[in-house]
Amino acid sequence: MSRDTVDVAETDTSVERRVRARRAGRGALFVVMLGVAVVMLYPFWVMIVDSLKSENQFLAGHGFSWSSWRTLSSTIPVLQEVISSTIICAVSILLILAVGLPAGFAFAKLKFRASGVIFLGIVSAMMVPLQAILMPEFVNITRLGLTGGYTGAVLVYAALGTPFSVFLFATYFRGVPDELIEAGIVDGLGYVGALWRLIVPIAIPAIATVTVLQFIQIWDDLLVGLLFIQNTSERPITVGLAVLAAGRTTSIPALMAGSLLSALPAMIVYLVFQRYLVKGLTMGIDR
Amino acid sequence: MPRLTLRRRRQLAGAVFALPALVLVLGLIGLPIGQAVYYSFTQWDGLTSTWIGPSTWTQAFHNPNLWTALQNNAWLLLAVPFALGFPLLIAMLLHQRVVGWKVFRSIYFLPTAISWVVLGLVAERFFAYQGTLNSLLHVVGLAHVNTNMLGYESTALSALGITFVFTMIGTNTMLFLTGLATLDTSLEEAARIDGAGRWRIFRHITLPHLSRFIQLAFVMTVIALFSALFSLIFVMTGGGPGYATTTMEFLIYQTGFAQGDFGTAALYGLILFVLTAIVGIIQLRLIGSDE
Amino acid sequence: MAEITFEGVTKVFAGNVTAVDHLDLHVADGEFMVLVGPSGCGKTTALRMLAGLEEISSGTLSIGGRVVNHVLPKDRDVAMVFQNYALYPHMSVAQNMGFALKIRGESKDEITRKVAEAASILRLSEYLDRRPKALSGGQRQRVAMGRAIVRSPRAFLMDEPLSNLDAQLRVEMRVEIARIQRLLGVATLYVTHDQIEAMTMGDRVAVMRGGKLQQVAPPQELYDRPANEFVAGFMGSPPMNLLRVRTAPAEGRLALAVGAQRLELPRAYEASHELPTDADCELVLGVRPEDIEVVDEAGSGPTLRTRVERREALGAEILVHLALVEAGAPSSVAYDEDVAITRPSVLVARMAPQARVGVGDVLNVRLNEERLHFFDALSGVSLARGTA
Repeated sequence: MSRDTVDVAETDTSVERRVRARRAGRGALFVVMLGVAVVMLYPFWVMIVDSLKSENQFLAGHGFSWSSWRTLSSTIPVLQEVISSTIICAVSILLILAVGLPAGFAFAKLKFRASGVIFLGIVSAMMVPLQAILMPEFVNITRLGLTGGYTGAVLVYAALGTPFSVFLFATYFRGVPDELIEAGIVDGLGYVGALWRLIVPIAIPAIATVTVLQFIQIWDDLLVGLLFIQNTSERPITVGLAVLAAGRTTSIPALMAGSLLSALPAMIVYLVFQRYLVKGLTMGIDR
Repeated sequence: MPRLTLRRRRQLAGAVFALPALVLVLGLIGLPIGQAVYYSFTQWDGLTSTWIGPSTWTQAFHNPNLWTALQNNAWLLLAVPFALGFPLLIAMLLHQRVVGWKVFRSIYFLPTAISWVVLGLVAERFFAYQGTLNSLLHVVGLAHVNTNMLGYESTALSALGITFVFTMIGTNTMLFLTGLATLDTSLEEAARIDGAGRWRIFRHITLPHLSRFIQLAFVMTVIALFSALFSLIFVMTGGGPGYATTTMEFLIYQTGFAQGDFGTAALYGLILFVLTAIVGIIQLRLIGSDE
Repeated sequence: MAEITFEGVTKVFAGNVTAVDHLDLHVADGEFMVLVGPSGCGKTTALRMLAGLEEISSGTLSIGGRVVNHVLPKDRDVAMVFQNYALYPHMSVAQNMGFALKIRGESKDEITRKVAEAASILRLSEYLDRRPKALSGGQRQRVAMGRAIVRSPRAFLMDEPLSNLDAQLRVEMRVEIARIQRLLGVATLYVTHDQIEAMTMGDRVAVMRGGKLQQVAPPQELYDRPANEFVAGFMGSPPMNLLRVRTAPAEGRLALAVGAQRLELPRAYEASHELPTDADCELVLGVRPEDIEVVDEAGSGPTLRTRVERREALGAEILVHLALVEAGAPSSVAYDEDVAITRPSVLVARMAPQARVGVGDVLNVRLNEERLHFFDALSGVSLARGTA
């Protein structure tokens, strides 16, 4: 709402004029928001429009053709790459959950000697960018012979995702009353049982948050897939696209078609689980 | 009498439960930091390393490419106010809750789901000689200013910065909107009853309330700027023209994998580590001062 | 089913805080024992030690004759009801109640049967498929009870189970819990800070303060013969009036100086209490609010001259706050900051609502001479013979 209309409205005593000014303000606001929407939708528009042209049509600047979509799988091995991306995402996330859930439980409810310091250490690893440790990491993973399959990439993704998930789970579990676990103990559970039968079911929303955040993170990532997966046949889709784009020999319409395809899963996950994403982003400060 | 008391069992369970996470983080993040320190003093090609000593550091600091990269990072910091300002504005707009605001919200956040590789590809289309930017200029009657921002050393970094601002809009808007949602409306109402105008309410109530969220967004934005531009640079410019868009993180990649100078790359990694650590410490200070 | 015995049980927390100090307490099989005291008195710690959730620093704790000091909670066969109920949010009412049985490995049919039985006792049968979130506070409380009942444990442990309910529901559940406990006949240790719950529910009541047990007795005995000033002040609402007085025997008769006024005592107290025979010895006189009545003139029995300071109408009764009328000196009613709560600066009397009493009136009040209490001025211990 523009400042001017508001000021007029507030000094004016006539209710009618006030209402009218308010409506005008709302209308202007709507138009502005529409404009922002156009900007934010621009990437999708580019991908759709450019992918619906043949290479010649693209160079000419106009025309319509399904050709780039029809020949997509022969230009870019999309199916294979999507499968790779899916496997890498799924295994990494499972590993992050398998490691993060018990650790979060431990740091929140099962304090042991030096657990505070260890927690701080793990959480501060969140601040270490991969590039800062890229060279030793690359050499270690290569020496262990883990760049052959997905193992190396999965391990690196898991290590990078673990600090945040531990932080998020620990914060979440701090909100669970101690009595709940004590009730389980009195009912006959051990700590493994408490983790598996009480903590994990209660943590479903937090698990969803971690899963969604990590899925988008890993699906969209380039660097790890680029360096830690040696075989081109095991490349995830983002890497495939980036390499083709950097090579500058692939036709733009095909690249755009591939990009749109690669963006779909993350967009769907995002649209369905939006609220978990927001929750994860603001974890710890919105209370 | 059982072997262990309940307290001991709890502590043992805690230690065992925390162990896998600790091993993973220590092994894949902690250990490499230590290795990086060692290798930064060596001549290292990934296979053999020879101890050289502190001279590697003096050599590195005499390398103009390092200074170019640091300079590029510094210039890019100018994008941060925009990467925070636009989202703040957009969040305020959404917070007015006009008809369809939820749809707008989803649309605004949508690019957040897309890989920066893809956004980089799209940005390349935008800035290209036959791209959208020139079409727009043409439409508004500025056809003679045909740009090719990614093609020139003087403008490529700006194009990268603009793309960066765009990529951060979704996340930061999300943060600010959440912040606004936690604002107690009775505060605003009380201020209105006290006769405060919109600007005053924003300045003295909304903004202070959002400060924690702005701090967080600031830190996240700066860290992204130092460590998440790789995808954009890789597809948009490859670090060029020349070294015009080579930032620290890209320099590390280039030094290590294009030139095979692992030792120097490890050293650059440490410099990046220190830079992000400084931002991290500032964040801790800020959070600490709140509580 | 079993009896519970605390023998010199002590709990010292890190930082040398003694939460429970040499607790000796015996709960007979089937008995309902209420553990009452102000917050921080160690009652919850005592309960948690019994549950096995807290370790014992020293002493012996046994259930059914077996020492359980080092036995894990799950092997103690006790059921606990938590203050916030601690219901498993992801399970239905039936699953909540049957969880312990399931862990124990009982058959599905058996679990269903036992849960149905407990649910009918607690009138929860129609809610078995609901999640705790969809229940009212009272229903949740009953589910928490149900979880304990289903296991038919050797003992029930309850930690302030009614404190999260509103006043009306609390009265209902008080009766309900007592009924169920009697029905099942399981030894129960019930922790509360509410003296009304203690009075109404327990077969016996144990009063704790600062980690130390003050007195264990059936509720009425606790009320009629408090072992010390603290118990006297803690049980009953409004609490017992406690006045700091001095002995002033004359002509061989027992008498007290209450400020400037003189209070004659019946001879019988010489036998029943260990009162000092010398003059000018300080002690504390206790009178329950209901043991004060208005009389016309300074007639027979111990009377005091007072002025009405305040009048609180409670409907069924009125509480009249009285100050002593002094000749010259101000009120000599004892005031000690440490025990200010238990020793108000005025006397409070409980009267029928029709009593014609107005603020400022000067009244002669007679204390019920058969129901006076005396405590040592220093230790606060009752001077009655035959009490601990």
